[in-house]
Amino acid sequence: MKADRSMISSFIKPIMESLIAVVIGVIIGAIVLKLSGYSPVKAYTALVKGAVGSAYGWSMTLSAATPIILTALTFAISARTGIFNIGAEGTVYFGAIAAIVFTNMFANPLWGLIGGIIAGILWALPAALLKVYRGVHEVISTIMLNWIAFYTALYLVLGPLANPNDPNKTLEVPASARLPLLMRGSELSLAFIIAIAAAIITYYILWHTVLGFELRASGYNERAARYGGINPKRAIIWSFLIGGIMSGIAGATEVMGRPPSYAISQGMANIRGYGFDGIGVSLVGRNHPIGIIFSGIFFGALKAGATYMQIDAGVPLEMVKVVQGIIVVAVAVPGLWDLVKKVVRR
Amino acid sequence: MIDMIVSILLGSLTAMVPIVLTSTGAVVSERAGVVNIGYEGILLMSALFGAMFAEMSGSPWIGLLGGAFVGMLLGMLHGAITVYLKGDHIIPGIGVNILALGVVAFGITAIWGTAGQHQVPSNIRIQPIINTPYGGLSPMVLITFIIVFLTHWVLFRTPLGLRIRAVGENPEAADALGVNVERYRFLATVYGATLAGLGGAYLSVDWLGVVTKEISSGRGFIALANMVFSGWNPVRALIGGFIFGFFDNLSVWVRTNPAISQVVPWQFVATLPYIVTIIIVAGIIGKVRPPKWDGKPYKRE
Amino acid sequence: MEEAPIIEMRGIVKIYPDGTKALKGVDFSVKQGEIHGLLGENGAGKTTLMKILSGMLPPTDGKIYVKGKEVKFRSPADALANGIGMVHQHFTLVEVFDALHNIILGMEGHGHFSKIDVEKARKKLQDLMNELNFQVPLDVPVETLPVGVQQRIEILKVLYRNVDVLILDEPTSVLTPIEVKELFDVLRTLKSQGKTIIFISHKLREVMEITDRVTVLRKGEVIGTVNTSEATPQLLARMMVGRDVVLRIQKPPKKPGEPILRVENLWVKGDRGEDAVRGLTFEVKAGEIFGIAGVEGNGQTELIEAITGLRKIEKGRVILNGKDITGRPPKELYNLGVAHIPEDRTHMGLVLDMTVAENSVLGLHWRREFTGMLNSIKWVRVKKHAEELIKKFDIIAPGVDAPVKSLSGGNQQKLIVAREVSKEPLLIVASQPTRGVDVASTEYIRNYLVKLRNENKAVLLVSADLDEVLQLSDRMAIMYEGQFVGIVKPEEVTEEQIGLMMGGIKDES
Repeated sequence: MKADRSMISSFIKPIMESLIAVVIGVIIGAIVLKLSGYSPVKAYTALVKGAVGSAYGWSMTLSAATPIILTALTFAISARTGIFNIGAEGTVYFGAIAAIVFTNMFANPLWGLIGGIIAGILWALPAALLKVYRGVHEVISTIMLNWIAFYTALYLVLGPLANPNDPNKTLEVPASARLPLLMRGSELSLAFIIAIAAAIITYYILWHTVLGFELRASGYNERAARYGGINPKRAIIWSFLIGGIMSGIAGATEVMGRPPSYAISQGMANIRGYGFDGIGVSLVGRNHPIGIIFSGIFFGALKAGATYMQIDAGVPLEMVKVVQGIIVVAVAVPGLWDLVKKVVRR
Repeated sequence: MIDMIVSILLGSLTAMVPIVLTSTGAVVSERAGVVNIGYEGILLMSALFGAMFAEMSGSPWIGLLGGAFVGMLLGMLHGAITVYLKGDHIIPGIGVNILALGVVAFGITAIWGTAGQHQVPSNIRIQPIINTPYGGLSPMVLITFIIVFLTHWVLFRTPLGLRIRAVGENPEAADALGVNVERYRFLATVYGATLAGLGGAYLSVDWLGVVTKEISSGRGFIALANMVFSGWNPVRALIGGFIFGFFDNLSVWVRTNPAISQVVPWQFVATLPYIVTIIIVAGIIGKVRPPKWDGKPYKRE
Repeated sequence: MEEAPIIEMRGIVKIYPDGTKALKGVDFSVKQGEIHGLLGENGAGKTTLMKILSGMLPPTDGKIYVKGKEVKFRSPADALANGIGMVHQHFTLVEVFDALHNIILGMEGHGHFSKIDVEKARKKLQDLMNELNFQVPLDVPVETLPVGVQQRIEILKVLYRNVDVLILDEPTSVLTPIEVKELFDVLRTLKSQGKTIIFISHKLREVMEITDRVTVLRKGEVIGTVNTSEATPQLLARMMVGRDVVLRIQKPPKKPGEPILRVENLWVKGDRGEDAVRGLTFEVKAGEIFGIAGVEGNGQTELIEAITGLRKIEKGRVILNGKDITGRPPKELYNLGVAHIPEDRTHMGLVLDMTVAENSVLGLHWRREFTGMLNSIKWVRVKKHAEELIKKFDIIAPGVDAPVKSLSGGNQQKLIVAREVSKEPLLIVASQPTRGVDVASTEYIRNYLVKLRNENKAVLLVSADLDEVLQLSDRMAIMYEGQFVGIVKPEEVTEEQIGLMMGGIKDES
């Protein structure tokens, strides 16, 4: 039946478009490598080997995927509600800080998570309220809040939370509050399982609850949602809160689950960038929790392989960020599948 | 006292250049109905490439033009996706911002071999035309003012401006009268991105003199906030630009004057531009009205 | 020898990308200097045909000849260059510009970068307006002007470009009877100046009054062209619909019950801050259909939105079954027994990107029967509900998981009606319930509204289709500028009286 075919193709098409975007990114990345004097073959081989060529590689891939799956969920939930929450970046900082504070007060990983959740909820409120009660576009407000969070967190990290025994990082998460490792000698901890669970919960919320129905309806058509007895303002606030929780957990699990440091490093380098990476993961994952799991693992592989690529092939690891960026831009092109079909036919 | 005022004035004028240029470009683009949130990424990439072109050619002015050129290319990309392919207006901008993070980080290493930061040699930077004991003023400040007034005049007094505004308010009306909606939207988008490119190159080749991964520091978004604050009016964007420039300059100054940290942590002052931006945008809502078809793709039905 | 037609369209076919055949091989010709009516129901293809003629849409097949020469239009600019201009049903004016700039847009004079010569344009326009004998204010933003004036600006826009052929798409749908008369005077003036006019309408009476010849379209095909002087409304109606139109719906007499809805001194503001509803008071009783007629734009939309919780009530009260519901949000109203069939089914009544099943519970989705623990939705029950609606209302849909946008307009509307009725409401508010809906579904929906009334529900009907209101209502009101000009029984009022009331004049006799 015609409708069945269109239902199936509406499912396959987005997946194809993400795959095509990845291919485009890889190809253009190869061109950039060549132009910069590196060997694409050597670089990509090293990348793949480092990411998935060994159990250790896989553990690095999955642990790199963990925080960006969570921050991707933040963006996805907002996108499904029709808004663009770019505030994961700042929320991650506060989530990590809250986890350090809470675990140093109560030496239990659960408290660390609770800290992350509370931080996520609280930091989600300004953007949510500004949007709903003052109509401030969330793209502007969340970016501003990211920077405010950055400097505030930096102050806390260099000041009250500084580690008296180690000038390069903050206080550590005490041993009893750390998340257990899934693989000995790796960096892969329970955090990964938490991220997967979060994705599944997000799926359930969006497609199997009244709240999720209202979020999605508001995202598709605010007028129709209002007509349908839904309060779009309430939907937006919930969207920010749940999104905030995800990113708060991302920050918390990063410090609770990453050996050997178990702290925030100087300049916050080990918790920066997850917000924007998450957005890319979500876009390539078509803003769907299941897609995000796959896309997150893929981007995690890029990150994990990058260090190896730098060592083995001498290519600066920032190269993968270029590929990442190209993939995201490619995903932004509508009808990519149809375009490619047209070009191939010629 | 006088020296402080003059110094603040000069500093604010200097800082407002990238914001005002980007805002003016954004005003034109959105008046035609195209939203672009990728200016942050454009600022970053044109800062990098502007410095690169300047150093390759030995002239900072070539660097500025190079930055504008990169902006133009990115504007064409955005225009192709949003205007011709009828894509979403927000997502390509996010893509450009993410791409910029990668390109600049990789670029600094690949071009200059340093990690994270590159100092532009001072002989390849724009020299100030006014030099006082309290600070200098770059010719770019004057050029910015000229660009703003010219843009304003074209937008509100000429057929080109009339058509640009028409396609942003009611593209159906313009289309029915034979105005090529796509062409004007595309041109407006490219113009906006080109100005942002100029502003980005200014950061590395003129004012700050460095290329880092964070040289844009949210200015691309502050420029969008300024665009809203100005009511989509280039001349009014000067006012907002000055206010933001004031706080931006303050924040930069504080970092180079550690004595201040005795009184107030420098990080707090660094957050001021962003807090001020939020307050101003929150306050102006309801008093200004965006173009009616801003952000909506147009297809002839 | 017969003069060659100024416009000839041969074998025009238009198939939309989604497969809809809007035009199936239409031959259409217009003589120079005539007023030619293009008549047909909603969806017959009249607007599509004219959009092709005016360059907005390309034909899938067929040829167009202007003054005997074959032409291919790639844009409205091409059509304008060939002397063909169209005034659309929904105005294409830039609201924030003044009339002068709206008219000269695209034809400003010289290059892109030189200053617009406002004075020169003003003089040219003033001369044109004097020639045509009607005036419009040139210097205020057009959004501040009344609809009739805006339409004249649209006409000026086209005439400024020296068109020979003027196409008007349903021009009277937004005009009062007096403004219609003024429009017709303008058209006659234009005709006397040698212009050719194509007049698209579905209103028989007007077509009979103003046109020289009429072409009738039905379902994308030409049924025939007649000389207006030789035609009758019945003939045209039969050509439009394809059978003898049943003009009366079966409605047994019914004694209405208690008032279910009571509106007291209601004041509501419109989108631009103007008073759209001004001190309205009326009742709708159980077992009756209360109809509100009137030209669109007189406050009907704002009234319905206020009653259904979608718009702020400035002053006054709304009482449902004795309970004050003023200002309550839609969710509470639905729980108290209100159902709303909205006038905009695609942008309000349905979420087009969601499935039939999801849409079947929009506005009921929180009810116990569809939910379980932890706020969860029991999709099995929702789908069963959707299947029941489809069966009961004869809705043609590929399946409950199909996206609702794959349904035709009529089936979408039936789905909305089915859903609203499944709420088992006390009051049904129906706004333009059969607009853009095919004949079979229209008949079904109208009969269903009568059925609801027979079952003792209160029905509030708003429709711009006067015939619909006359047929269905037990009592009706005509709305003009935010107030009721009169509340009457349809059988007790003449057409002339209604026409006057729609123009704001109450017949005191």
